[in-house]
Amino acid sequence: MANMWYSIDIYRRLISVNIRGQLQYRVSFLFDFLATALITVLAFGSVALILQRFNNIGGWTVFEIAFLFGMAETAFGTMDMIFSGFDPPYFGQRVRIGSFDQMLLRPVNLIAQIFGSQFILRRLGRIIQGSIILLIALTQLDIQWTAIKITMIPIVFVSLVIFFGGLFIIGATLSFWTIESLEVVNLFTYGGTEMIQYPMSIYPDIIRNFFTFILPAIFLLYYPALYILDKPDPLGMPAIAPFLAPFVAMAVFTLAIVIWNYGLRFYQSTGS
Amino acid sequence: MPAIITVEDLNKHFKVYKHHRGILGPLRNLFSRASSLVRAVDGITFEIKSGELVGYLGPNGAGKSTTLKMLTGLLVPTSGKIIVQDQIPWKNRTNYVAEIGAVFGQRTTLWWDLPVIESLDLLQHIYKIPDDRFQQNLNEFRELLELDTFLNTPVRALSLGQRMRADICAALLHDPKLLFLDEPTIGLDVVAKERIRQFIQHINEERGITVLLTTHDLSDVEKLCKRVMIIDHGKLLYDGKLHLLQEDFGGKRQLIVDFMENYESVSVEGGTITERDGTRMTIHFSSQEITASELINQLSAHYRIRDLEVREPDIETTIRRIYEDRLLEQPE
Ligand SMILES: Nc1ncnc2c1ncn2[C@@H]1O[C@H](COP(=O)(O)OP(=O)(O)O)[C@@H](O)[C@H]1O
Ligand SMILES: [Mg+2]
Repeated sequence: MANMWYSIDIYRRLISVNIRGQLQYRVSFLFDFLATALITVLAFGSVALILQRFNNIGGWTVFEIAFLFGMAETAFGTMDMIFSGFDPPYFGQRVRIGSFDQMLLRPVNLIAQIFGSQFILRRLGRIIQGSIILLIALTQLDIQWTAIKITMIPIVFVSLVIFFGGLFIIGATLSFWTIESLEVVNLFTYGGTEMIQYPMSIYPDIIRNFFTFILPAIFLLYYPALYILDKPDPLGMPAIAPFLAPFVAMAVFTLAIVIWNYGLRFYQSTGS
Repeated sequence: MPAIITVEDLNKHFKVYKHHRGILGPLRNLFSRASSLVRAVDGITFEIKSGELVGYLGPNGAGKSTTLKMLTGLLVPTSGKIIVQDQIPWKNRTNYVAEIGAVFGQRTTLWWDLPVIESLDLLQHIYKIPDDRFQQNLNEFRELLELDTFLNTPVRALSLGQRMRADICAALLHDPKLLFLDEPTIGLDVVAKERIRQFIQHINEERGITVLLTTHDLSDVEKLCKRVMIIDHGKLLYDGKLHLLQEDFGGKRQLIVDFMENYESVSVEGGTITERDGTRMTIHFSSQEITASELINQLSAHYRIRDLEVREPDIETTIRRIYEDRLLEQPE
């Protein structure tokens, strides 16, 4: 227990260091912030424009889709901020340049250090945009609120964050193998010039999008949304389906930690 | 003195995968798993006693960093035994690293955007160092390492030498009994090297901290370490006193004589003339055969001498011979 408070205390200090570092580059911070915000608005705006012409798609109205989109965006943005340290390309880079060694040299829980290593403030842009879209959806939709539905909103949100976080951790774990099997050779033989062609930087986007929007859409977002919006279930799942989100999230997260601990044993550091 | 580090038949092998070039290279790499084995550390055994200052010397790629990474718990050995301060480094790593100090020359342990002093403050919390102990240590190191001029500078703005000094200070604030340094003088100029060497010597002598430092720079070892381990291709080639290495493998001492006149022919017994340039002459001789004074007496009996100089065998050449001729390698 004392150990946990210690880890949390160090985590807090590391985060504050990281944030102060980001604020030193204020101009670029503001720019990134605005850019992220703009992209989100454009993304949703274009979808909304198309949808408006049809009024509904597959039985979903614009605002119902805004509800899904806003929820996923806000949760993903929040996760992306809290789990920045595990962001696979970023973490892979850390392993590649050897600065992961520095973490292993410090007498602090490794997970706490990775969480503490990065906390990307500009994700706030995505979070704010996501919440605005979500709020608009909630006010425009005529939801029949019940106590269960109200409790479900934060639970679904937290579940999504944990679920996405688990995927980030699994992605980060991949660096322990792939770096060793491919990249170290690069470092020694070609001076790392081919690093940009490294598949890790390509496939996470595909994988990430798949896991981000398709898989969780079923239990983490789609079924809860059906329940909250009082829509019929076209797939005929058992009645419990809308309430599985926290369990799916915890299962994925636990799996992620198991994979992480396993992968760590394959860490080989880098050559000089 | 009890052993603080025990290493027995230590091995670290890396599997290195073959790499394809070209546009489809990365794709082919995913599927073809042809690999070769690099024996970065290959059957090394040694012991270090409390209070020693040992140099771990070898050319680039010899396996120095890999050894140090295993000793500090960063890497798990392929096989073999490591006991440091009664612990196995990679087991229970988090506890272990609290009791050692380590600096890997090429990378800083400090926070890039933070002023040095704030990094050190953060380390105080990380290592749970009591306030008075922290202040005492900081004050002492500030003076010895001359940190004051850049304590408030962000780490990213430091010169290599300044950064190394800050890093060494950071590694010692929690009073470790054991310090590992990987290439502490790499890339530094002569003055900066000297300052760091003096500091290492100081903490070894005054605080009794056991130091194991790796280097490919012979002068580090010459100036600092009584004991040297030489490693190449992952194998330990030599472990012992530096001057014994010289006697065993260094071969010849040199006597340089400047005569009063230009003698037609000069003859010496017990030595070989290797160079002659006017009145100057270089004679190689070996301690086992003749002493310097015998040689000088012999010469001065027959010739008039203006000046004399005795040169000890050049350690650099000695070591190069060991690397190149693999003089110490045991037959397989
Ligand atoms: N993580 C790694 N993966 C593969 N090969 C490595 C790795 N680290 C080191 N090596 C190889 O092991 C050998 C020893 O490296 P190293 O210990 O860094 O040498 P030194 O520190 O003496 O220069 C080198 O051939 C190097 O290429
Ligand atoms: Mg090295």
